[in-house]
Amino acid sequence: MSRTRFRFPSPLIVVAFILAGLITLPLLYVIVSAITADTAVWRRLWTTRIPELLFNTFSLALSVAVIDLVLGVSLAWILTRYRFVGSTVWNWLIILPLAIPSYVLAYTYTFLLQRNGPLEHAWQMVAGADAQIFSPFSFAGATLVMSINTFPFVYLLARSAFQNFNISFEEAARATGASPLNTFFRVSLPMIRPSLMAGLFLAILYVASDFGAMAMLRYQTFTYAIYQQMTGRFDNTAAACLSLFLVSCTFIFLLGERWFRQRSRFYQTTGRFRKPIPQACSPLQTLGFTGVLTIVFATAFGIPVFLLVQWTMDALAAGELASGFMGYVWNTISLAGITATLALVCGIPLAYLACRKQTWASLLCIQGAYTGYVLPGPVAALAVLVLVSHLMPELYGTVLVLLIAYLVHFLPVALQGMESTLHQLTPNLEEAARSLGSRSLRTFRTVTFPLVRGGFLSAWILVFVQCMKELPATLLLRPVGFDTLAIRIWLEASEELYQLAAPPALLIVAITIPVVFLLLKKVQEPVKRKA
Amino acid sequence: MTDATPHDNPIVLELQHVTCSYESGQPAIHNISFTARKGDIISLLGPSGCGKTTTLRAIAGFESVVEGTVLLNGTPVADGNHHVPPEQRRVGMVFQEYALFPHLRVTDNVGFGLNQLSAHDRRRRVDDMLSLTGLSEYGHRYPHELSGGQQQRVALARALAPQPVLLLLDEPFSNLDPDMTYKMRGELHDLLKKTQTTAVLVTHDHEEAFTMADQVAVLHQGRLEQFASPETTYHLPASRFVAEFVGQADFIPGEIHHHVVVTEIGDLPLPQGYQGSNQVDVMIRPDDLEIRGSGSGSARIETRQFRGSENLYGLRLESGRLVHCSESSTQFYALNAQVELKVKATHTVMFEQSRNS
Repeated sequence: MSRTRFRFPSPLIVVAFILAGLITLPLLYVIVSAITADTAVWRRLWTTRIPELLFNTFSLALSVAVIDLVLGVSLAWILTRYRFVGSTVWNWLIILPLAIPSYVLAYTYTFLLQRNGPLEHAWQMVAGADAQIFSPFSFAGATLVMSINTFPFVYLLARSAFQNFNISFEEAARATGASPLNTFFRVSLPMIRPSLMAGLFLAILYVASDFGAMAMLRYQTFTYAIYQQMTGRFDNTAAACLSLFLVSCTFIFLLGERWFRQRSRFYQTTGRFRKPIPQACSPLQTLGFTGVLTIVFATAFGIPVFLLVQWTMDALAAGELASGFMGYVWNTISLAGITATLALVCGIPLAYLACRKQTWASLLCIQGAYTGYVLPGPVAALAVLVLVSHLMPELYGTVLVLLIAYLVHFLPVALQGMESTLHQLTPNLEEAARSLGSRSLRTFRTVTFPLVRGGFLSAWILVFVQCMKELPATLLLRPVGFDTLAIRIWLEASEELYQLAAPPALLIVAITIPVVFLLLKKVQEPVKRKA
Repeated sequence: MTDATPHDNPIVLELQHVTCSYESGQPAIHNISFTARKGDIISLLGPSGCGKTTTLRAIAGFESVVEGTVLLNGTPVADGNHHVPPEQRRVGMVFQEYALFPHLRVTDNVGFGLNQLSAHDRRRRVDDMLSLTGLSEYGHRYPHELSGGQQQRVALARALAPQPVLLLLDEPFSNLDPDMTYKMRGELHDLLKKTQTTAVLVTHDHEEAFTMADQVAVLHQGRLEQFASPETTYHLPASRFVAEFVGQADFIPGEIHHHVVVTEIGDLPLPQGYQGSNQVDVMIRPDDLEIRGSGSGSARIETRQFRGSENLYGLRLESGRLVHCSESSTQFYALNAQVELKVKATHTVMFEQSRNS
């Protein structure tokens, strides 16, 4: 028998530390440059920009949250508690809006809502020839676009909450004499509050960190302002100050979310519970529900995608498809593929550490690696840009810089997927293999890997899709002439060349749709396993 | 005290003053020493958090030893400086949740540790193990297609297939229905004896430890309280904790007078060589007492639990203390009846009086 020193975790810890350090370094750099900035910069920003940006961001997030809540909860209620023709199909259709990047949705709505545009014409038929509707470049426009883009988050969480709801609670309420409506507001809704809050937090975070739609709609929020400081004024210091402010707000917001989640855990009182059985509907109800669902679906997905298809066909018919189109596709796919692979490779030691060796050191590494979460795209880009221009200026303008930014930004996505996969795997399996004489590598190859393969693959796909849609970091860091699909959409749409922007947008939507269904399957999976 | 193991069998496992810290979230253990000879079944018994699983994992190599030495077949495999990784120890382990590989069929699970053998030998060995455990018809199934008892047999077959030096079992019956547990205990005991397997079994159930083991190690708060045969553990517990953990035990105060222990239920013989204070607490097991003559007497029947094979009576003494007494299944006394108690124990177990009793 050979004797070896029992220091197995150390290389893992070292690798994880280096990775976490590399990931957090850019953010630290931004923080330092914001803190050491001239107080005059801060004063100027505080008097000119910050109040307006705060107000815009908050009011938009709040109004989007309210609309999301109403849409998400009512649709989830309809689709979990009622059974009607097509209700299972609607279950799938209604989350499709998640497949449209916010900037693509924004650009279709700049067309739909424009002066003398299709929606205004339609409205004039109802309200008279002089009637006007709101401009896309307004608070109302931004609210509309962001809420139809994000309501599926609330819907998904509300739906799984309603599905796992112990119907006995409602029956107990009814037995005490409460009306169905009363029961809904006093029992059902309060009991799914944790899920609703989780959905809302997700939607608000999405709004606060969105760049593409805000820039398309010229609606001034933090992310857009940071971008403008960097590109319009070439003032990275001011951008860093705004970033620090935004990141701090996000951080406090996330802490609040965690605090809320810990406080408000509701438990089903018994292990076994009765699930709700969907009710059959009358024809009138069916008609009503189908109407509501059709309107929401058309607004959030149907009409925009119909437009994209039409424009794409126009562009193809006119032979206007950009000559370098295949090149853009290749750029996008290779960049996203490399990033997803890198994120997975870097994520394995971190995720493994998080699940198997819980010490303060590993906790620190994981938290470090997750900082990408509080970094909206432009901030991640700024962070990497500032760091690279100080330390390795010769790298500036190469694809490498873009890759680093992607990695910082998207590692958390990969990490989350891998962590939850590894968590489902009991360490006993690996220990059993080792007690049967199997070395670490063989154990990983024959036991761990076959069992986590599926979960890791879906983490890879999620990162791939997010990279494919990425706009702000790409816009700020790409080498000259290196265009991706997202960049082409942005450039053509900014010139209001709707037909030219459509083919890449349609391609992105088409690739994203199966991924959205994968996401839905993952949301449903734990439910099935428990049943 | 048992007939199972002649004491000239070679020592397979030896723990010398083993200490593990609680770095990894497992309870710590301090200064644990015991040995297992070839063919012995050792049971690690104790309440949850006492360190019995940590001890098992230290033997397997999943926990590192801070101080002391673990020896397998006389070779040190772990001490403060050296650590042979689990895969090189040839120690089989059956996990509490069995940890069957969900993506492998039963045959592949059982054959997992046999990759050094040729395909032909491996298949033969797997077949042997499956027929030994009565699973020959289930080889092609996946773990989730088996019942709890079958899964446990697969886990056992898998652990035994590479012919380990030692087999470790972590609460192997905790996931089974009670009636299944009873059956599997007997099966496992016979199988281990038939294959002359040295085994260490973790349990929190003293009945399980007594029926399965040749030697019982009682652990409490990370320390070994007693290492002895089941009979000794029950009749001559080394500490109050052991006395109470391995069965019903009442304590009544006694005083030493002229080489006898005087208590309110009678005089008991003083153990030889006792040198302590004169004030002691005497341990009374239900089978140490018998009820004599109902109608008159100083003890009052307060409770009765009918347990099928016996009646367990709770008796209130004059002093207000409660003691328990087991009587045969058909022996019936009415509640509140006054009865006389007689001590029938031939030996006395006593501890110096603690302050709180």
